[in-house]
Amino acid sequence: MSTAPVSQPVPERPLPTPTRESQPHWDGMREGRFMLQHCSGCGKVRHYPRPVCPHCFSQESEFKEAGTGGMIHTWTVCHHPFNFFFKAEAPYIVALVDMDAGVRVNAPLRGVKEADVKIGQRVKLGFEPVNKEVTLPFFVAE
Amino acid sequence: MAHPLREAAAISGIGETAYTRGTHKSALALQLEASLAAIADAGLSPRDIDGVVPYFPGGGIAEDFIANLGLPDLKLSLFVPMGGATCVAAIQSAAMAVATGVCNHVLIAVGRTGYSGARVSTRLQQFPQFALAAEFEAPIGMFAPAQLYAQGARRHMELYGTTARHMAEIAVVTRQHAILNGNVVMNKPLTVEEHHASRMISDPFRLFDCSLESDGGAAIIISRAKEARDLKKPLVTIMGVAEGHPESPASIAQRPDLLEFGLVKSAPRAYEMAGVGPKDIDVAEIYDCFTFTVIRQLEILGFCKTGEGGPFIMDGRIGLGGDLPINTHGGLLSQGHVVGLNHAIELTRQLRGEAGKAQVKDAEVGLVTGYGDMGDGSIAILRRAA
Repeated sequence: MSTAPVSQPVPERPLPTPTRESQPHWDGMREGRFMLQHCSGCGKVRHYPRPVCPHCFSQESEFKEAGTGGMIHTWTVCHHPFNFFFKAEAPYIVALVDMDAGVRVNAPLRGVKEADVKIGQRVKLGFEPVNKEVTLPFFVAE
Repeated sequence: MAHPLREAAAISGIGETAYTRGTHKSALALQLEASLAAIADAGLSPRDIDGVVPYFPGGGIAEDFIANLGLPDLKLSLFVPMGGATCVAAIQSAAMAVATGVCNHVLIAVGRTGYSGARVSTRLQQFPQFALAAEFEAPIGMFAPAQLYAQGARRHMELYGTTARHMAEIAVVTRQHAILNGNVVMNKPLTVEEHHASRMISDPFRLFDCSLESDGGAAIIISRAKEARDLKKPLVTIMGVAEGHPESPASIAQRPDLLEFGLVKSAPRAYEMAGVGPKDIDVAEIYDCFTFTVIRQLEILGFCKTGEGGPFIMDGRIGLGGDLPINTHGGLLSQGHVVGLNHAIELTRQLRGEAGKAQVKDAEVGLVTGYGDMGDGSIAILRRAA
């Protein structure tokens, strides 16, 4: 009896499952546009997308393209890959950024050394397609 | 007028399994083993239990308790899905149930196979509260609590000068306490140097800043204080208890201040209900999923000002014999991870005078916190009744 060689499955990147609320945001990412949800009642921006404005309780909203600049609020450097997909990338910096558009975005920070990362540092968001449907954000120095 | 819940209820029974890395038992079997131990500790029969709050998700559900313990008339079944804040928040729900007469004896129980069963990243996928993190943060490589909470710790370090040395102090002192306990996973001394040399998990958290993945079960019973007085063990009453939920509860990233946990809201309410303040606390069991989380909670609890938590915990203050002994059982960092129900059990032991080598002399009033689920915060203040 022969034994078939055992192949290790290639770990897959966890991917977002867009919801009815968040679909316009992910559609925008795919087109290279940073789309954010704005309340149609009071105009306030909100992220992550959700059905009701917590300020004025309006259930109407629209997505508008926003600027991609921001400032680092804080960061971490991920060494242990809790998901095996990220084993090849570790260690990687994930910056939490106060976007000029008034929301925060968490994304990998590229091209900056760990020792040089600072709160308040200016960065801009880039778009990285990972398959035909999904484009994910990353940051580089502005 | 005193709050109607103040000292209306008591922790009448406590039970634990061995805390291990490796078990043949299921999470449900561990949960039931601990439940039977807690029922025996109270001097009750399983037939007396008429309310259950099983930890969720993971372990058993109310039906399992009826089927295994033969509960003749279960009057209340609750889940309190608040991650690490669950167990102490469940004390509030259970106290309300017994104080109003809906139930007589409510069982809160955890069973966990964190080492031998599903590990953290798999377990979290069962939490509906993690859906937003799964959609927006897991794809870019941020999903585990060690990663999500690390950003808050880093910000505290940058703003206030908190250091790895401060975090090491929590790990080292907690380990000293664990060694005195006997029923712990980590029973060898830990030095500051060993902490600093341990591998980085998610900066600034090293391995020894992170709580354990372990197997075990824990359970407590909440009864009306006036009836608990006649049960088997010394009376430990619930003076104050509260749960709190932060702004942006399912996304730390979108929270205006990453360091404002639910405990910011619940701690003042619990102190007010109890009629005591930080100066009255003889011993504190602080939820320690990460070392930094303890430092920040001590600030929120009013033991020191925001930003001063690092220096506050140094120089023996949080050890046995210090001004504020904390985590006298070894906590989640060194005893075992049963979602903090072991913290409530240890506080009960301290106030009964049953804490053995780790006994805080003349401990009369103590507090226990829960923290989790992206920052929910619960707190109970207990007292040894005269």
